[in-house]
Amino acid sequence: MINRHILSYSLLLALSLLLGACDKFLEDDPTDRLPADEAYSTLSDLRLNALGAIYRNIGGSSDSQGLQGTARGVWDLNTFSTDEAIIPTRGADWYDGGIWQNLFLHRFGNVDFTGDTWNYLFKEVLACNRALERIGEYAAAHPTEDVTLLKAEARALRAMFLFYAMDLYGRVPLFTSSNPAVQDIQLQPRSVTFKHIVSELQDVEYDLTNERSSQLGEYYGRVTRPVVQFLLAKVLLNAEVYADDDWTDGEHPDGAAMMWPVDGERLNTWQAVETYCGKIEASGYVLADDFADNFSISNEESPELIFTIPMDIYNYSNRFTQQFRSLHYNHAAALGLNGENGPCATIEAMRTFGYGTDDVDYRLGLTYYVDEVYAEKSFTPVTLDDGSPLVYYPMQVALDVSNTAWEKTAGARMHKYEIDLAAMSDGQLRRNDLVLFRLADVLLMHCEALLRDGRPGAEADGLLNRVRDRAHMEPRTATLDLVLEERMLELAWEGWRRNDLIRYGQFTRSYTDRPQLEADVKGYTLVFPIPGETLTACGSEQNPGY
Amino acid sequence: MKPIRLTLRPVFAVALTALSLSALAQSVASTDSLTRALSPAVVTADQVSQQQVTNPLEAINGRVAGVTIQKSNNGAAAMNAVRVRGTTSVTGGNDPLIIIDGVFGDLNTLSSIYPSDIQSFTVLKDASETAQYGSRGASGVIEVVTKKGAAHRATVTYNGSVGFTSVVRNLNMLDAAGYRASVKGVGDMLIDKGYDTNWQQAIQQTAFLQDHHVAFMGGGDRSDYRVSLGYMDHEGVILHDRMRNLTSSMNMHQRMFGNLLTIEVGMFGNVQKDLTAVYDVQKTFYSAQAWNPTFGTARNSGGGWDGFTYANQINHPMALMDSRTQGKTTHLSTHAKLTFDLTPHWTLALFGAYSHNEVETSQFLPTSIWSGGKGYRSSAKTESWLGTATLTWDKTMGPHHLNVMGLAEIERDIHQGFYTTTTGFSSNAIGIDAIQSGAVTLWDGTGSYRNAPSIASFMMRLSYDFGKRYSLTATMRADGTSKFAHGNKWGYFPSLSASWNIANEAFLRDVDWLDDLKWSAGYGLAGNLGGVDSYRVQNLLTPAGVVPVGQNLAVSLDALFNANPDLKWEVKRSFNTGLSAALMGNRIIASIDFYTAKTIDMLYLYNVGVPPFSYNKLLDNLGSMRNSGVELAMGFTPLARRDMELNINANVACQSNKLLSLSGYYKDYWLEAPGEVDLVNLNGAGFHGGNNHIVYQMVGQPLGVFYLPHCTGLKSDGNGGYVYDIADLDGSGDINIANGKDRRVCGQAMPKVLLGSNINYRFKQWDVAIQINGAFGHKIYNGTALTYMNMNSLPGYNVLAAAPERNIQDQTATDYWLERGDYVEIDYLTLGWNVPLGEQARRVISKLRLAFTVDHLATITGYSGLTPMINSSSVGPTLGVDDKNVYPVTRSYYLGVNITF
Repeated sequence: MINRHILSYSLLLALSLLLGACDKFLEDDPTDRLPADEAYSTLSDLRLNALGAIYRNIGGSSDSQGLQGTARGVWDLNTFSTDEAIIPTRGADWYDGGIWQNLFLHRFGNVDFTGDTWNYLFKEVLACNRALERIGEYAAAHPTEDVTLLKAEARALRAMFLFYAMDLYGRVPLFTSSNPAVQDIQLQPRSVTFKHIVSELQDVEYDLTNERSSQLGEYYGRVTRPVVQFLLAKVLLNAEVYADDDWTDGEHPDGAAMMWPVDGERLNTWQAVETYCGKIEASGYVLADDFADNFSISNEESPELIFTIPMDIYNYSNRFTQQFRSLHYNHAAALGLNGENGPCATIEAMRTFGYGTDDVDYRLGLTYYVDEVYAEKSFTPVTLDDGSPLVYYPMQVALDVSNTAWEKTAGARMHKYEIDLAAMSDGQLRRNDLVLFRLADVLLMHCEALLRDGRPGAEADGLLNRVRDRAHMEPRTATLDLVLEERMLELAWEGWRRNDLIRYGQFTRSYTDRPQLEADVKGYTLVFPIPGETLTACGSEQNPGY
Repeated sequence: MKPIRLTLRPVFAVALTALSLSALAQSVASTDSLTRALSPAVVTADQVSQQQVTNPLEAINGRVAGVTIQKSNNGAAAMNAVRVRGTTSVTGGNDPLIIIDGVFGDLNTLSSIYPSDIQSFTVLKDASETAQYGSRGASGVIEVVTKKGAAHRATVTYNGSVGFTSVVRNLNMLDAAGYRASVKGVGDMLIDKGYDTNWQQAIQQTAFLQDHHVAFMGGGDRSDYRVSLGYMDHEGVILHDRMRNLTSSMNMHQRMFGNLLTIEVGMFGNVQKDLTAVYDVQKTFYSAQAWNPTFGTARNSGGGWDGFTYANQINHPMALMDSRTQGKTTHLSTHAKLTFDLTPHWTLALFGAYSHNEVETSQFLPTSIWSGGKGYRSSAKTESWLGTATLTWDKTMGPHHLNVMGLAEIERDIHQGFYTTTTGFSSNAIGIDAIQSGAVTLWDGTGSYRNAPSIASFMMRLSYDFGKRYSLTATMRADGTSKFAHGNKWGYFPSLSASWNIANEAFLRDVDWLDDLKWSAGYGLAGNLGGVDSYRVQNLLTPAGVVPVGQNLAVSLDALFNANPDLKWEVKRSFNTGLSAALMGNRIIASIDFYTAKTIDMLYLYNVGVPPFSYNKLLDNLGSMRNSGVELAMGFTPLARRDMELNINANVACQSNKLLSLSGYYKDYWLEAPGEVDLVNLNGAGFHGGNNHIVYQMVGQPLGVFYLPHCTGLKSDGNGGYVYDIADLDGSGDINIANGKDRRVCGQAMPKVLLGSNINYRFKQWDVAIQINGAFGHKIYNGTALTYMNMNSLPGYNVLAAAPERNIQDQTATDYWLERGDYVEIDYLTLGWNVPLGEQARRVISKLRLAFTVDHLATITGYSGLTPMINSSSVGPTLGVDDKNVYPVTRSYYLGVNITF
């Protein structure tokens, strides 16, 4: 018989030992990841993990992620809502619950990725805030180290994401914490955000180096001074839109009356745009000899590019889906890619390019595939499954082309970028860097600023005609309308059309297949609805009209 | 109702159960062994062997009220989804805990056990019953006891069966002639290769299956052993589909030092190999149903498969059959238990178990179906360590019986694995075994991981029984997990249960016809980790992608989700009460149970604002849900004679579920799930995004409701075709089918009533068993018909033979294709013959039984799709929606033999 006392004592002892051991036993010891406070302990770690995490997401590999290249994100909202491009319903293909028709028709309340796009942009703003906090902590611990450049990059990136957010949604929160409190994330009037973005960009302009971001090397893919100057020109050019806090009243402030401090001078809006464009032109950027050089596989060599999304087949996961989505199945297959046979140019775009007339723009064939098409670098026509040649019918495009003879072939398709025969993943992993900012846009902005400032003439004509001349087109006398037209020709499918149309007051007008929505004319569709989760979090009202 | 198990040798009941807790519970509970035998929550070896089941879970399907078992598909290696009393968590952790001889396992482990090795299943449903297993048992427990050796008798048994499965029903798509006519009819481009192929049949085969199992057992006065070997080889009805499984198990017991110590050692191992050409279920069936029927099944002159570019969401079905996905699961588990019967009242049990599970996956997708081809290999390993110490004090003093138990337990699971992917294949000649024949290894295609969560638990239980009439059990349990932060690691879960054995009361003792009458009730809390992964509470950085740094490349680290340091245990509070009775010499047994459970601090992945959060999802303990139900079980034995016996058992479970709340404060932020959260969407050509959401999660509704536009009928589109006429439900004057506009709730995805019934009839040496299951009160969205009735899909995608006549040219998802899902299924019919053995034969063979079984004999339903037996139980991307991803309807026939030497 065993003594009961010994038994209960030993039980108690065992239990207390167990309890003591338990705390340790229940600790997690992660070995396949790193605690946040260990990942930012050196300057190069800061660059890699604080800034790198932001740069990594300028492009994207899944829907709604990235400024360009992916589907259902910033680029789609800026492109398929305009008179430049359309995704028609093609039988069973591309109906997709009506989402593309709704986007084209400006029924933005029924376009679910407006919320995903907001989440992407603000995820990046938060990443910038986090990076700045990490840089601040590092600087406090290492007072002798210089973190000026890192800080300037993070602030410039934050201003860039805020610019895209303000442009798309109008009212956005301005906050500096990566863990903001309720009162920090209240939606600000658009004019407040606008002024904040301008002053942030001006603040960091001279902290950044005047290097080229688009070319291989130390600054490849990074924000440098010309990138910030481009953003300043772009934001200021839209001052009349962004300074307007009520976009449904049909009125807007006058850009010429707004004054801005630029390098110690006070300039009106258009002069400020002129100054920033001039700075970029003075930094040695020139138009590429050939329009197509900007979109070639080795376009990092183009002297015209200001800011790009670096692309690489093997290492980066950034996707380029625009062409993949646009090309007819057989056309893509003939190029060794996959295609989804969706997006194409509108009838308005085709008319502007002079399709079917004697006066065809040189850039038509470089921008779009029309009519019969050939396998790249060969004279073999691409055929349909029944052996007949594939012919794109640019003028047959409509909102719904189901059950028509050109159900699968209506619409001009996206060319612009050189086909990369070595592309991977259905042709979505490519070597062509994706063009975000380039000099041709700067010249056209510069020209537009002069015209808006009431200074037509040789200088303005010269700027417009440098762009036209490179495209082997006859010179023109610059007017605001011709600048807008030139932008459609030169910058087609580069993600600026919505921005341009809003600035020109033409976004809500009707055009082929797009009747004006009843309330559209009042301008509520000039911004997209703000996601409900954000409204719940900050307790704000939805944008008017939604 | 107490969980009680039939053991063939009750003498061994206590000693042979590895974790003797339930056995102890039994000793407290009624000792009426007959009631045990007839208990509806138990499935015994006899019942298992009566049907020639090949998967242990099929043996309990329809046998236990409140247990839903649904096969995920008809593939050879398909897994079952099992729910005990419905779904109580929305994030996970809804699978019941499987305990095999005391060792924690999962559904996967259970599926790999040979059915003949199983002595009994016991299903624990009430909080007080599952308390002994803590958080892991929150969603119910299935205790499995494997067979043990028998003293003084060396026996060898052989169980075997051979049979085949064939397809009995496919979708009726247009044949080549109909396709040609229809394509010409709508003026589309006709690609006619001149064949007439039924693609569904082209990728199907008659599947053969065989099972063999040998068991050796024996023992002496102080020890016994049982060793078994099993082999299964099952083909699936889709070409190349095959599952092979080799199992081996060993068990031995020995008594030492008089009766002081009982040692039990057991080991179980298996190797399962799966092979399939179905790498994507929907793509396979979508392709086989919709591919152009004028194409041929042979390769083209280039050795590849003809493409049909208009059908870019699907592939040539034979090209898909060139893909290979192989799985190899190696499982080893071993356990040892020392039971010290220290004094007549004190018992100490020490239990330790180790298991090792490795799943190797290899996949090759040829260039014809995957751009650049894809080679993939991975290994995922889980090692699990478990240690339990139990001390019990048990004493009877006159009518008083007291049992006190203390338990301490620790468990650590180590999960680790790696994977690598290659692409850029220039040829398909070499596949899985040399994936380096793909030229490209992308950064995000390779990786490895490791995590090692742990759980520690303490439990105290007190059971008191008075005069075998009144009993009370109180349990207090503390569970700690490594997954939560300090302050939230520990959860405390008390439970209490009581029962009154009315039949043992003096005033009923003289009632002859009443054999047993018992009332019981229980209330308790159970904690659930809700499928929370490790590291959800910490801000940790993982490699996130490559960025250029100067001239080089570097991997940037980033946090990829919102960490929530405040995560804590999800708690299920449940109450249950029940009455059970046995009448007329146990000829009639019946029980009724009622339960209601409320899940609080419910883990839910909220859509949150960015900002304040960095990512748009946050897992948090907000919200609540209620599950309640009534379970009825009845058994009749109208005939019980020497030559003839008839047993009829039936159980009905009514279950209801309601999402009570999905909102609350996280720190300062008010979180609230939108009124409608989509759960299940349609897929396929023209179904990407937009208003294609079918099943939703909505507060105030059951989990998984259909929320759809209302179609009042078909209307002409003005060009000879028809479109769905959608009602303006919100009276706004125009049709807008976005959430909150012209949509309404129109049914639930999970059945309200489940039925299980089995009938056994024995006449002399012959017996017949039939199992009938049913489900009622739910709906199914026939997305397959929506897709294939749309004439606009031609010529790229074939349509149903019925489509041209109706000429619908629309694929807007409305309630037009929402159908009732009610069904009654004859799950199996078995005819058995216990072969009479002559004097001579009996010297060698003690028992010989032959059985013939038909599985899935018939289904009675009004549902117009292939089968109503789709996923109607697990919350996931297929719940309630039949969307071109349903395996063909099959029937199996097999012949089994059972010999005992």
